[in-house]
Amino acid sequence: MFKKSLVSIILSALLVFSLVGCAERNTGGENTSDPKQSAATDTKGQDGPVETVELTMACWGSELDVKAYEERAALLNKKYPELRLKVMSLPNDGYDAKIQTMLASGDAPDIIQVAESSNSYASKGLFVDVGQLAEQAGLDLNERFGGATEAYRWQGKLYAMPDRSGAMVLYYNRDMFDAANVAYPTKDWTWDDFLDAAQKLTLTDDNGVVTQYGFAAGGWWPWWMSFMYQNGGRILDENMEHVVVNSPENIEAINFYTDLVHKYHVAPSADDYSRFGLKDGQPDPLFAQGNCAMNLTGYWNIGSLNSVEGLNWDIAPLWKNKQGATFSFGSGLAIPTVCKNVDAAFKAIDFLTSMEGQTPIVTNNQDAPADLELLQSDLFLKPAWAEDRNVNLSAFADSADILESPPLHPKWNEIQRVFDENFSVLFQNGGDSAETMAKIEAELKDVIGG
Amino acid sequence: MKKRNKLERVETRWFYFFIAPWLIGFFVFSLGPMLASAYYSLTDWNMFNEANFIGFANYIKLFTRDSRFLKSLGNTFFYAFLTVPLSMILSLFLTYLLTRDVHGMKFFRTIYYLPVLVPLTAVAFVFFWIFNTQIGIVNRSLGIFGIEPLSWLYDEHLIKWVIVFMGLWQVGSSLLLTLAAVQGVPKELYESASIDGAGSVRQFLHITIPLVSPVLFFNLITSIINSLQVFTQSYVLTDGVYKPNNAALMMSNYLYQKSFQDFEMGYACALGWIIFIIVIFFSLIVFRSSSLFVFYEGEVRKHEKKHKTH
Repeated sequence: MFKKSLVSIILSALLVFSLVGCAERNTGGENTSDPKQSAATDTKGQDGPVETVELTMACWGSELDVKAYEERAALLNKKYPELRLKVMSLPNDGYDAKIQTMLASGDAPDIIQVAESSNSYASKGLFVDVGQLAEQAGLDLNERFGGATEAYRWQGKLYAMPDRSGAMVLYYNRDMFDAANVAYPTKDWTWDDFLDAAQKLTLTDDNGVVTQYGFAAGGWWPWWMSFMYQNGGRILDENMEHVVVNSPENIEAINFYTDLVHKYHVAPSADDYSRFGLKDGQPDPLFAQGNCAMNLTGYWNIGSLNSVEGLNWDIAPLWKNKQGATFSFGSGLAIPTVCKNVDAAFKAIDFLTSMEGQTPIVTNNQDAPADLELLQSDLFLKPAWAEDRNVNLSAFADSADILESPPLHPKWNEIQRVFDENFSVLFQNGGDSAETMAKIEAELKDVIGG
Repeated sequence: MKKRNKLERVETRWFYFFIAPWLIGFFVFSLGPMLASAYYSLTDWNMFNEANFIGFANYIKLFTRDSRFLKSLGNTFFYAFLTVPLSMILSLFLTYLLTRDVHGMKFFRTIYYLPVLVPLTAVAFVFFWIFNTQIGIVNRSLGIFGIEPLSWLYDEHLIKWVIVFMGLWQVGSSLLLTLAAVQGVPKELYESASIDGAGSVRQFLHITIPLVSPVLFFNLITSIINSLQVFTQSYVLTDGVYKPNNAALMMSNYLYQKSFQDFEMGYACALGWIIFIIVIFFSLIVFRSSSLFVFYEGEVRKHEKKHKTH
């Protein structure tokens, strides 16, 4: 008798699980009995049957981000009433792991927000070639996005449409520049101009302790890599097949970069940051505190700086050495190959990345849009919040011609890790980088097999 | 006799009944994935594409060509070999203090348990301030003795100690068990010992510790298992980058990197099995040698019985 009851418990447990499974599958399918949706089809019924397509888009971010995405989804629905886009907001932490799991299970959202890991998915055949779809639709990608598409290209094919794309720009403190009698930075600045300014902008107290740094950065890749690219260096060759990191250009660039901390003392070391109650490599708050004059970061910093009373700041495109170079931080929209309605999904991202579909990105002060026309429009350049501020927002559009794409190899995570491991020691101790570069080159060859 | 058998049978049934949720959970959710991971550890599976069988290549690579794994292994052992004994000693010492007859003892007991209730992410924030190079309390205290500020969080040798310290911060959970066990020790034993002239330290060493040794054994086993699988401390303290030079990279952190950042699921499965074998190995050693230092009251009775019959 007891055995029977045990069996029945197990059976009922299994039954419950399988029921839950069925229920989930039902809502995901296309023949759902969602009352809202059937109502929508009914009303359309009069002028011929229009099939409503429900799409889901996965994205990460804050409440503000979700608000902007939802406004855009509403705009899409207004333009194409048959398309309903549901925004699926996922936590930043663990976003990639969640997307991987969904893709592996074959039950993924129809549109996925991607950033640096795009090629990692694309190289495994998980994303649809949107470049081809754009061509079929007669969309001129170059006109709409400029060089921003490069970040999502793998072996000649485009796997995501650029959506948000703000270049890394130079934030500087106008009051500090005025006090040190240094001219404001421009795109024509060279490393010499930058170093000269940084030295003048670094102030020390009577004990020789630095009270104001001219510049601040750390171990994050866009900071040191922009110096490499400005010096004509690269990490991988054009086709991302060979490692080219151990070059005289890169060694020179990294020496200059570490010298800013260890030789010229115009930028804080990890331990110097801690004097201001900050972690290693946190120039954004250091700048907001009013303890450094220049720092390199993306569009998102505007929002935080706006809330700091009395900070007189502006932005400019990055300086150059042998050439100009900066990176863009942004995200793209990709369609997974498991998507059931690729045409509808493409129609949606085509609209979402158009000037009209990107407007909420600007009106919510969320990010710099990837759409060049919008980036150069008065809506972006003269926003309401900047009326009494005179912020040079054209710095983002002016960076378009020096925009580089980092080597987003499918093993980008591992590549970054190799740099982190080696640079964390070099940046802490300073000194010549030649040995470190040779070590990195050998380790990277092992990672990408070239 | 017959009646007793029936009773035993009923007891057995109830045993299975109460253990059923765990058994079902194990067979439905754990056993399958375990077997699958054993298979995948012999393949190059990347979560999305076909898994190709590659024999023991993953295991061979782990031990011969993967310096990052060997580093994480060393880091984990460093952490475990320090944290396990230190937390045992610390929890015993605190138990000794917290069983004294002092006014407001409940308050002190709460204080020592509190860190366990605080999420490690929040603890990391506190530690970041405690070990701050320039303005942290540790370096300021050392400064009184004329010691130059140490770069606790950015020096690859020092950060290991910070992680150990963070592990000891969690001593409250084992402390709670020891404390409960100590309070169960019969008062008469202490009374007779004090009549014989034993002081409180001596009583603690010769009465308390032997009588609570099964609980200490339990603490030892769980803390070995937990410390070999340590993940959160190093993750939150270094924001998931384990700088500098991977000094904070533990085996579980590396497993997470390989699986969910690099998509190398097959390799990560092999890594998981290695961790499993290491944990089992140390647990077995402790179990096998437990008779040397664990004292069960039941043993005394058996022993006495034998004595009488002889």
